[in-house]
Amino acid sequence: MKKLKVFLFLLVSIIALNLSAQEQSQAEKISELNEKVNGLLERAATSESDLAKLTKIKVSGYIQSQYQNFETPSLLSKSQNYFSLRRVRVKFTYEATDGVKFVLQPDFAPGNLSLKDAYVVVNEHWKKTFSLWAGKFNRPNYEVEYSSSQRELTERSLVIRTLYPGERAIGAKLEYNPLSVPIHFQLAVLNGADGITINNNAGTNLNAADNIDYDNSKDIMARVTYNLPLGSFGGLDFGAHGYFGSLKSMATTTYSSDYSTVTTAKIGDKIGKNWIGGEFQLFADVLGGLSVKGEYIAGKNASIGYASTTAIPLGVANFQNNFAGYYLYLIKNLGKKNQFAFRYDYYDPNTDINGKDVTIKGYAATANLAKKMSSKSDLATSTFGFAFHHYFDDNIRITACYEIVQNEKVGTTAGVSNYTENYTQNDGQVVLKGLDYSKVVPQNVFTLRIQAKF
Amino acid sequence: MKKLNVLRTAIIAVLLGVVCFAFTAAPERITVKGSDTLVILAQKWAEVYMKTNSGVSIQVTGGGSGVGISALINGATDIANASRKMKNTEKEKLKARYNTLGVEVACAKDGITIYLNAASKVKELSVAQLGKIFRGEITNWKEVGGDDQSIKLYGRENSSGTYVFFQENVVMGDYASSCQTLPGTAAVVNAVKKDTYGIGYGGAAYAEGISICKVKKDDNSPAFAATAETIKTGEYPITRYLYMYLRNRPTGEMKKYIDWILSPEGQKLVVDMGYFPVK
Repeated sequence: MKKLKVFLFLLVSIIALNLSAQEQSQAEKISELNEKVNGLLERAATSESDLAKLTKIKVSGYIQSQYQNFETPSLLSKSQNYFSLRRVRVKFTYEATDGVKFVLQPDFAPGNLSLKDAYVVVNEHWKKTFSLWAGKFNRPNYEVEYSSSQRELTERSLVIRTLYPGERAIGAKLEYNPLSVPIHFQLAVLNGADGITINNNAGTNLNAADNIDYDNSKDIMARVTYNLPLGSFGGLDFGAHGYFGSLKSMATTTYSSDYSTVTTAKIGDKIGKNWIGGEFQLFADVLGGLSVKGEYIAGKNASIGYASTTAIPLGVANFQNNFAGYYLYLIKNLGKKNQFAFRYDYYDPNTDINGKDVTIKGYAATANLAKKMSSKSDLATSTFGFAFHHYFDDNIRITACYEIVQNEKVGTTAGVSNYTENYTQNDGQVVLKGLDYSKVVPQNVFTLRIQAKF
Repeated sequence: MKKLNVLRTAIIAVLLGVVCFAFTAAPERITVKGSDTLVILAQKWAEVYMKTNSGVSIQVTGGGSGVGISALINGATDIANASRKMKNTEKEKLKARYNTLGVEVACAKDGITIYLNAASKVKELSVAQLGKIFRGEITNWKEVGGDDQSIKLYGRENSSGTYVFFQENVVMGDYASSCQTLPGTAAVVNAVKKDTYGIGYGGAAYAEGISICKVKKDDNSPAFAATAETIKTGEYPITRYLYMYLRNRPTGEMKKYIDWILSPEGQKLVVDMGYFPVK
């Protein structure tokens, strides 16, 4: 009996010890698990914090692939129809903190790799009405700033393409957007020579360095717009912009727009180029939504010649041309998936020379200075553009666009060689006097484009 | 200036005329997408309206105000519900895609409610204190009269209109990086319910099983809870309108539905569902 009691006591003790050890082991396990969970939570918080930083980077972009058919006579360098990639753009936007944004947008179009946008925007924190831009960005103009992925015609109107080649410029810009008034003000200081070709006598572009200025003077650009609500009808946005700048003279003479005045210039003189424009965009909530948009720009543009001992003045003289141009859009939505757009655009690069007085080949042997000096670059161009868009889904837009291009007609009194031009066919054969500028020269373009946007 | 060919001009004018007068009939199936704050009310409106208008189909989904407005711009929804006003950038996108400025319909009011755990000792906070808490400048409850414990922040994703409204009107800066973002107001309420030291924000209609924090305009003002009365009088400091956005002026079935929502019958449902009427 005594032995049994001892045995039972030992057994209970062993079980109790075992249980105690188990409890201790379980407590250790729980503690270990707790530590692991805490560690995981800490790692999750770190990952979330890292992820939050990544969400500050936004990537967007679009690809425009197209087929085009040109009515223009064949040239050696180009076929009359081809497939091409018009734009291949990826835009990176990084919002470092509230009110500071970095934007980088390269264009990967084959053979044309270029940096389209690279700028920083800093918004002031107090009233959130001012923002400062620095870098390479769109010049302040409605059609320039309107994204190519949204534009209703495949390319910008001719006046805008001519005045703002490449659309972007390097400089700094101040924007003012008061919260209480629907006004928008932009003031930019730009290098001013972005995208402009300034050839010397050998045909070398003196302004080939994209990243720096061609001269010391900076150009000023300003734009102001106002959004006027029109109740349930829609709204009217209207405004104006101006460009005030100059280019450095590299020639010793400057010709006036009508070629009647020749002034002496010094190398380094400022050759002014100034213009102003008015714009409007009317949005009407009628029959599913339509808009009418227009802009008129007029002023004086400049091109730079190059000093030379040769007597022929054109190309070696500076030239200041009075110009005028405008465009007018009509855009109508057809249900949720389709859109129709019409645009008429007109650009006269020299309002002081009538088409009748223009000499196509230039430097004609005549006493009439206008006839002697003018060339086909003085002719006005008008374009009727029609586009139909089908939005396949959120990302895909299919566009068919036809543009009827018409040149200003040249007078025929000066003889056939003064209103015609030779051109070269694909096979290398030269067609003498094949382009007749006393008529409309075939230049119409058909474009079928598919755009994928993300 | 060149003279235009008369025949060509006439053809272009006729073509443009035909296109301009083309339009699409209003749909009989209405899709509604957007604000999670508004989704339970929008579903109730649709449910009740379809009972008495059997020919109309209304499909309602959430996702957040930003998601709804994007869908409106992309043509993926007919109505975008939003708990904030449309941003200028969104208006510009709508202009570019549909050539309209959109139609804004204020359909209800809401008080952004501050959710606290039922066990929380804190009963009221000022707007400035809330701002500091969600910016991460106040991190311990003892700084605002609570226990000596860290504050756990719960909020919405940045596609949420509530997130944007709360940021612009209360946080007035960046949210603290420690703020856990959750995919809906119900998830915020649930998180605060389980976390003694949690704090979140969202629509008044979701506030169940948690403690509602009274809010003071400033340190010297009295604190108010979000009620129909305090929202109507403007005493509750964090109130906002809830909106429906449309691409065009409504016609046909869409117009009937919008008119019904703004009618006494539709606005009664606003109150029944825990929101506040527009008038």
